[in-house]
Amino acid sequence: MLKYLVGRIAGILPVLLVISVFVFGFVHLLPGDPARLVAGPDATQRDVELVRQDLGLDQPLWVQYGRFLGNAVQGEFGRSMKSKRPVSQEIGERFMPTLYLTVVAMVWATLAGLLIGVASATRRGRWQDHVGMVVAVSGIAFPSFWLGLLMIDLFSVKLGWLPTSGYGTWQHYVMPSLTLGLGVAAVMARFTRSAFIEIAREDYVRTARAKGVPARLVVWKHTLRNALIPIITMVGLQFGFLLGGSIVVETVFSWPGLGRLLVDSVNYRDYTVIQAEILLFSLEFIIINLLVDVLYALANPEIRYS
Amino acid sequence: MTTTDATGVAAAATHEAVRSPLREFWRKFRRNRTAMAAGFCLLALVLAAAAAPWIAPFDPAAFDYDRILEGPSAGHWAGTDAYGRDILSRILWGARISLSVGLLSVLLGGGAGVALGLIAGFRGGWIDSLIMRVCDVLLAFPGILLAIGIVAVLGPGVENVIYGVAIFSVPVFARLVRGSTLSLKRAVYVDAARAIGVRDRLLMVRHILPGTLPSVIVYVSMRIGTSILTAASLSFIGLGAQPPSPEWGAMLADGRSYIGVASHVTFYPGLAIFLTVLAFNLLGDGLRDALDPKLR
Amino acid sequence: MNRFVLPLLAGLLAGTALAGPAFAAKDLVVGLPDNITTLDPADINDTLSQSASRTMLQGLFGFDKDMKLVPLLAESFTVNDTATEYTYRLRKNVTFHDGTPFNAQAVKTNFDRLANPANRLKRQSLLAMLAETVVVDDYTITLKLAQPFGALNNNLAHPGAMIHSPKALETYGKEIGRHPVGTGPYKFVSWEADTLKVEKNDKYWKPGLPKIDHVTLKSVPENGSRIAMLQTNEAQFIYPLPSEMVKMVEANNQLELIDAPSIVARYVALNTMKKPFNDPRVRQALNYAIDKNAYAKVVYRGYAGPLDSAIPSKLGFHVTQPNQYTYDLAKAKALLAEAGYPNGFEAEMFGRNSTNFIRGMQFVQQQLSQIGVKLTVTPLESGVETARIWSVEKPEDATVQMNYSGWSASTGDADWGLRPLLWGKGFPPKFYNVAYYKNDTVDTAIEAGIATADDAKRAEAYRVAQEQIWKDAPWIFLGVENLLAGKSKKLTGFYYVADGGLQMEEADLQ
Repeated sequence: MLKYLVGRIAGILPVLLVISVFVFGFVHLLPGDPARLVAGPDATQRDVELVRQDLGLDQPLWVQYGRFLGNAVQGEFGRSMKSKRPVSQEIGERFMPTLYLTVVAMVWATLAGLLIGVASATRRGRWQDHVGMVVAVSGIAFPSFWLGLLMIDLFSVKLGWLPTSGYGTWQHYVMPSLTLGLGVAAVMARFTRSAFIEIAREDYVRTARAKGVPARLVVWKHTLRNALIPIITMVGLQFGFLLGGSIVVETVFSWPGLGRLLVDSVNYRDYTVIQAEILLFSLEFIIINLLVDVLYALANPEIRYS
Repeated sequence: MTTTDATGVAAAATHEAVRSPLREFWRKFRRNRTAMAAGFCLLALVLAAAAAPWIAPFDPAAFDYDRILEGPSAGHWAGTDAYGRDILSRILWGARISLSVGLLSVLLGGGAGVALGLIAGFRGGWIDSLIMRVCDVLLAFPGILLAIGIVAVLGPGVENVIYGVAIFSVPVFARLVRGSTLSLKRAVYVDAARAIGVRDRLLMVRHILPGTLPSVIVYVSMRIGTSILTAASLSFIGLGAQPPSPEWGAMLADGRSYIGVASHVTFYPGLAIFLTVLAFNLLGDGLRDALDPKLR
Repeated sequence: MNRFVLPLLAGLLAGTALAGPAFAAKDLVVGLPDNITTLDPADINDTLSQSASRTMLQGLFGFDKDMKLVPLLAESFTVNDTATEYTYRLRKNVTFHDGTPFNAQAVKTNFDRLANPANRLKRQSLLAMLAETVVVDDYTITLKLAQPFGALNNNLAHPGAMIHSPKALETYGKEIGRHPVGTGPYKFVSWEADTLKVEKNDKYWKPGLPKIDHVTLKSVPENGSRIAMLQTNEAQFIYPLPSEMVKMVEANNQLELIDAPSIVARYVALNTMKKPFNDPRVRQALNYAIDKNAYAKVVYRGYAGPLDSAIPSKLGFHVTQPNQYTYDLAKAKALLAEAGYPNGFEAEMFGRNSTNFIRGMQFVQQQLSQIGVKLTVTPLESGVETARIWSVEKPEDATVQMNYSGWSASTGDADWGLRPLLWGKGFPPKFYNVAYYKNDTVDTAIEAGIATADDAKRAEAYRVAQEQIWKDAPWIFLGVENLLAGKSKKLTGFYYVADGGLQMEEADLQ
């Protein structure tokens, strides 16, 4: 187990290196001159040149990449081209809001997804199953920005129950986490249902049932426990996706998170922020994958790593 | 000569084997009323999109400055937008674009993914590792981020949206097909074909590919919905299809300022997207239950 | 998961506690469309960050709510005939928020900092002509210029020339943009992610001001969410208000619409070096072919006025042109035929990819189709626009035929409304003359206008320039949009100025 862990962690580095080249290439492929964008719409050519030197964009590409990599190794990503603040600060203050929102959305969505999924699976083929699945699948079918704006119009403007947007109190979490979690809940419900149906066919569950273990107990004790492993994987995967910050939800609800930062920085060609943010996403995702694998091992000791 | 004959026999045998599962599939699928309904809805939609030039009551691009933002009426069933254009006509014409975006991006991404998955699974070794590591990297980003990246580099517009959305279907299909290929590779009929000297390429295309198709078809159906939604999100960020294109996402994004004033401007395109994506997903669910109950 | 949930709950509770009602204090919330980039005005190029800094910082001059130049930290000035030496008398008994006294040395520190190219400040061009600053006494300062510059006071009224506390500049260095310390009505409190908070400056030099205790500036990019904030009174002022949302403000009796002319000119620049736009008759024909009233109605729902000269009427030295291009299709067709295009022609039009630009372009496309001119509209994303239009090195390499644009001359003066756009020496990439328009009369006039501080001479120069430009029609002159914003009726003394900036010095909540 330990050897496996060390191996996995060591394996992260080359992947990150590849991603760093990828990301660096990507920002430089973006059309548009960041110096001119940073200098602003009514800057003169001289202003633009000053900005270019200031940003180090007059250097050859390999020098720029070397500097980026050198800094990145030390956990330093330079300053944002737009705000001139250290990128670490810029990302730091936006990380927690995204994390909190992700956690809240994941918690409700996982619970709701599990409930609907189990309910559908145990009544497979009956009307409850169909209704459950149609409801769950509806969750994925909404364009989220539209849903978000409709909710603001209804719950904030018309009814006055919730604040329109922003970040702070628990009320602020309701609509964004609902919008963000809806898709996850749908995926979880579907996934739980099929995981459940499959495990219900396994021999030990049939045996348990044949032995006269009450149906409810079979569901909760035998089936759910074994369905848990694939479900953990799914939760991990979805969590990783959401941690990237939902660009759409964060924009609609003015949530000061990473997704909005990314869109802003792409629009401003803020190279340093884009690079750091994408590296962070990849790292997050890799770590979550690792955690999922470890959880796997803990949930089911029969899985061995060689 | 003998080889050709043997292949012919093998192919005929496969053909024979495929037919009865098809009937079996249809028997199962027909019982799923939700999926049948979804299928019919989609069929109707495709027909309506194809017939748009004949059934759309108005020119989708014709401005009418005297009828700006009018609600649904006998003349304009879904009302008019900020330029006085007929929303129903735009939705009908937009169905062509939105469905094409969904379909083409998935076919493109799926095609590439299936090919990669087949090769990775069949060849194994370093090719397999390489392809799968690249897929891991691609999967490490939320799909919308990849799409934003691609469209930001290529520039906004329907065509680039298709490429952007296609990219993130590639690793999903590659993984799926690689998995099936690995198990099919050891199937008896494949061994048999190999034993009589069928070449690798033919083996992959003729014998393994058909076996992976059921799961691929299910995924295609579901990914189309996701692709239509992603295209809409791209429109929201301003990187999608550009107005005046009646692509549904663009209509929705363009009309969102009118929520609360003239909600019909977004209601109908929103509904169109919702129902279409729902239908594709329900169809996918039905296909899965009928084709391959083990598939998640 | 516990590791995440605990701090989360703590955060939620803390948030709830902080959000308790505030008694008696007057708190104003303003909804902005975008994030503030920095609070060092010398390094700002967006109106929004300028407005934010203006709550805390001030310059020697400023603009009042009607875009008239007014002295702020300067009391009076004198200038020599050649506009190369300006002397300013400064206001006494003014202190910065950190207690540092405001004096000539403080001004010198700031101006020397701004003018020095080594500091790489984005607004360096405002004082690029500065040769030397001389402190005459504590409250007198002389600026010596390397070449004549007649619009210096306008440049000093630009937010970019606002004055930081010299002590703060020394303490914070490069971080000054996060720690603004000025002489303005409000003091800096905090700035996190998308929210800036400022509070009342009790020692403000204007007696009785400010009246608001706390001001929060919050970035809410989504139009629908921003107007929702106003409707629920979470914000008392939001801008900009898309014209399609005006109805929502009007429908609510707690809210009031702000609707005033801006200094944003909307036009289509025609590449005068390319066929068929090299023929002035073609350019005039295009001007006649567009119904400007319909433009205002369709693109801005009526919230726009005419562009009746090369610069909007709110800019200094504007002259309304007597011979307007009134909508006249017959005349347009006749002019086209005369120029040799009786059946029109095909052309491509560039423009930004924002909703309003696209709406405007679609309108122009539809109008010109009436005289047989078939336009392909190509919306460009900002990065692409830069590459395709502004970074083109040589005029002959330019691919632009028509460019739908807007321009806001942030100094409020005719110079910045004309020189960057229509001066023969201002082709891209130097400036923004994307019409590639070059006319000797206009060039001479623009150069004469900036070479003196004598208002009569300047007025004459800009009159000549505007007249010639109007006749040559290097643009399709479309209109001047109105500034639209929504505010709570309880909010008074809060101004949305023609340059798109906000002034909240006199703001009060009833």
